[in-house]
Amino acid sequence: MARAVPTRVKARNTAIAWIIAILIFFPILWTVLTSFKTEATAIADPPVFVNFQWTLENYVTVQERSNYFRHFLNSVVISVGSTLIGLAIAIPAAWAMAFVPGRQTKNVLMWMLSTKMLPPVGVLVPLYLIFRDWGLLDTRVGLIFVLTMINLPIIVWMLYTYFREIPGDILEAARMDGATLRSEVTYVLLPMAVPGIASTLLLNIILAWNEAFWTLNLTAANAAPLTAFIASYSSPEGLFYAKLSAASTMAIAPILIMGWFSQKQLVRGLTFGAVK
Amino acid sequence: MATQHSRAAARVMIAPSVILLLAWMLVPLLMTLYFSFLRYNLLMPGANPFVGFENYTYFLSDPAFQTAIVNTLLLVGGVLVITVVGGIAVATLLDQPMWGTGLVRIMVISPFFVMPTVSALVWKNMFMNPVNGLFAWIADVLGMAAFDFLTQAPLASIIGIVSWQWLPFATLILLTAMQSLDSEQLEAAEMDGASAWARFWHIKLPHLARAITVVVLIQTIFLLSIFAEILVTTNGGPGTASTNLTYLVYAESLLRFDVGTGSAGGVVAIILANIVAIFLMRMIGKNLDA
Repeated sequence: MARAVPTRVKARNTAIAWIIAILIFFPILWTVLTSFKTEATAIADPPVFVNFQWTLENYVTVQERSNYFRHFLNSVVISVGSTLIGLAIAIPAAWAMAFVPGRQTKNVLMWMLSTKMLPPVGVLVPLYLIFRDWGLLDTRVGLIFVLTMINLPIIVWMLYTYFREIPGDILEAARMDGATLRSEVTYVLLPMAVPGIASTLLLNIILAWNEAFWTLNLTAANAAPLTAFIASYSSPEGLFYAKLSAASTMAIAPILIMGWFSQKQLVRGLTFGAVK
Repeated sequence: MATQHSRAAARVMIAPSVILLLAWMLVPLLMTLYFSFLRYNLLMPGANPFVGFENYTYFLSDPAFQTAIVNTLLLVGGVLVITVVGGIAVATLLDQPMWGTGLVRIMVISPFFVMPTVSALVWKNMFMNPVNGLFAWIADVLGMAAFDFLTQAPLASIIGIVSWQWLPFATLILLTAMQSLDSEQLEAAEMDGASAWARFWHIKLPHLARAITVVVLIQTIFLLSIFAEILVTTNGGPGTASTNLTYLVYAESLLRFDVGTGSAGGVVAIILANIVAIFLMRMIGKNLDA
């Protein structure tokens, strides 16, 4: 039983925690606020927080000048595409390792984890050349392939830790009741596996959406997702804070919201099941 | 019971993942190794003669290499210290009873979901810019001269930006671990008269050892390859002041188009990452088995 905490202590905790949390969150808040300002207000001295003329002009300008939604769509296609393909490859593997573990299963899993330790820059040159020769530079297909491969170990690991928790006995019970293999999978296993698969899907879309090594090096104007598109703001001309903020807000909003819903899965997924 | 039949089926189900990952690893790796022994520059077409270890000698004796190694270590080490210490502090705070825990948690973890190019550019322009940044305004209000972060302290500034991105991750994992601590143990210690500090030091911290190990391992993997944050803030400069190994190899390969030297650098990066990986896997292995 947790004991009652004096209100005074609770109030003090609350105050400190809120101050820290707002400080940590502030850059995001500031970006969102700035996206609704005019360029002149964005660099006003002293800075203004909420008492300014709110405008949507920046969002319109960003879209008109740079075809923003093309890059947004690229991000969606690349992150969702690579995640779905990764799941298609990983689900059978994780399934087999969880339900029919062999002597090598642990080694295979550790080996997969170790491929994540290969620094991407170690294979940058050959991959760049292969992409150039095969016409894959600046294409969505090429990027989907790369992101599928770099996230595959994480997908397998995550699914494995979820599948392992499905009790094997339940299968035997179903079999005793005369279930066929097909109905066993459809009615018993799948419903139990769905939450794990959904969490894996969510976390992987987040990772793929924010991946910024391969997307920066292998794309240009055509297939660039938002990570690469936003990078083009690093050499600005004239006033641009408000437009940078508008582009940034749209780039982070969907993933931020998905992230809020996947806190628990994030811990589990990114620690390969070591911390739950 | 697993039968002969199901074992064979299992192998077929695992095969695609293993074969794809193996190919993904080996093909480019062998190519990098091969290129690293050639004189091969994309700007100078023609024969690419075998030159032995020339690229390695060139890369390793480049003063930029030593700077890059030191910068890589400072970047990884700096961010690890800040995020682990900060993460323990923030997680301890969030573990206390308070109002609005849900909202506080959401705010604290948010930076983790911000893509690297966005966070780097937001910090660079809207906070660290010496003319229009918020920090310059704060300095002005306090009557100090504005500080040009990315020119005068480029590496420290990047460490700050990256720490902001990774603090939520460390906090979230440490908080999860903290919440699995048996509260009765803490209460018993309290009844025995242990001070808050003693309870933290002797009960909470040992309980967190495993989670801290995991945080260090996973962050190190990602931090060794920091790239986008450097690219959009300083381009590795001024000079090579904020160039890490990843950025140096990128510059050799895709800015100077020197495939040979870039590949040699890539091999060096792989070797160094492996040294770190072996060390870390041993550490985590010990911790995970316990």
